[in-house]
Amino acid sequence: MSKGIFLIARNNAHIDYVKQAVFLARRIKKYLGVPVTIATESVDYLELAFGVDDFDEVITLDDTGEFNQRYFYDGALSKKSASFKNNNRASVYDLTPYDETILMDTDYVISNDLLKSCFGSKSNFSIYKKSNDIAKVRDEQEFDTISNTSVDFYWATVVYFRKTETNKIFFDLVKHIEEEWNHYRRVYQITSTLFRNDFAFSIAIHIMNGFQNGNFAQELPGSMMYTTDTDILWQLKEDEMMFLVEKKDYLGEYTALKTQGQTIHVMNKSSLSRIIDQEFAND
Amino acid sequence: MDERLEKALDFSNYMLTLNNQKRLLAEKYQESLIYFYSGSQFTLTRELITFVSAMISAEQDEIVITDDNNIPCMVENLEDFYGEIVSKYTNASNSYYTAYADLKKNRTVEKLVNYE
Repeated sequence: MSKGIFLIARNNAHIDYVKQAVFLARRIKKYLGVPVTIATESVDYLELAFGVDDFDEVITLDDTGEFNQRYFYDGALSKKSASFKNNNRASVYDLTPYDETILMDTDYVISNDLLKSCFGSKSNFSIYKKSNDIAKVRDEQEFDTISNTSVDFYWATVVYFRKTETNKIFFDLVKHIEEEWNHYRRVYQITSTLFRNDFAFSIAIHIMNGFQNGNFAQELPGSMMYTTDTDILWQLKEDEMMFLVEKKDYLGEYTALKTQGQTIHVMNKSSLSRIIDQEFAND
Repeated sequence: MDERLEKALDFSNYMLTLNNQKRLLAEKYQESLIYFYSGSQFTLTRELITFVSAMISAEQDEIVITDDNNIPCMVENLEDFYGEIVSKYTNASNSYYTAYADLKKNRTVEKLVNYE
């Protein structure tokens, strides 16, 4: 059974996801020791800027021209509006060269080997439901359910799956939900019009479970630890990261916080980019 | 600023950081208690260890235990399984104890987060 990690990197004018993918691929090799495949629209840029040695396979994505728009914060006081391309994530099922795949966001900073144990597990489909905001000063309720009156929230940030007929049905369903997003967001009482993969995956899991809670999806080991984009990744040394996390009720003030050997979903992509630049400069 | 208030705020900031670091350490400990056996995932608890010990005392060689995802798992060599979970549990707990003790020794925010 072949196994590996699958990364999707679709650059926009502000964020270099390809650079993030190269950085993450190196950490995956170090901590998980499995091959990595990248799917990107920017293959020429990847080859020119970083080379392809960090990847087992490079898959070219077509630029569909579709994008969404949102604010990207860089700490509590700085933000910019930028496009992002989050569609077509479900195509991973057809694109992955592996029998067992972990689909991973490029801003997931791997710092331990916990996910390695997914390969060969009894589960055919695993995803994070439990999550942990490392700052613990914000309301985490938005990650319990996809809206106040709707179904359980699952993180599409990291997804483990085997190539099975049932999983094919699941990923086809996610594609369908994406195509009919306006219908599904109304049925599932999501007020925002913005398409989010977390929501599409959560809805698809709910449907696969017979429109109720069930065990189609198993939980990945541990919990999804994250910092939002209003926190700042300040320092990274091997498996140690230092963050400046928002101080409750004090806009623009931060508390320092250190993690060691803990994998973190770093949503502040600008601060992650600065850290990656430092890391690459040191290499 | 009044010196008394300044000292209190410094201490407040220190305690905030200390409590955050303690919480992260506890979460890391929970992750380090995850044990994988034959494709199943178990979070090691005193209850699991005691149960397995009791089954060995009852001269059971193999038993079915449900894992973290409620998937039943046949544990075929109970003695080996017991040895492994006890070893992993004690190693994780000892590391947690040491890291926690080290953390308490740090008396400034800079030392708590090891900032250079």
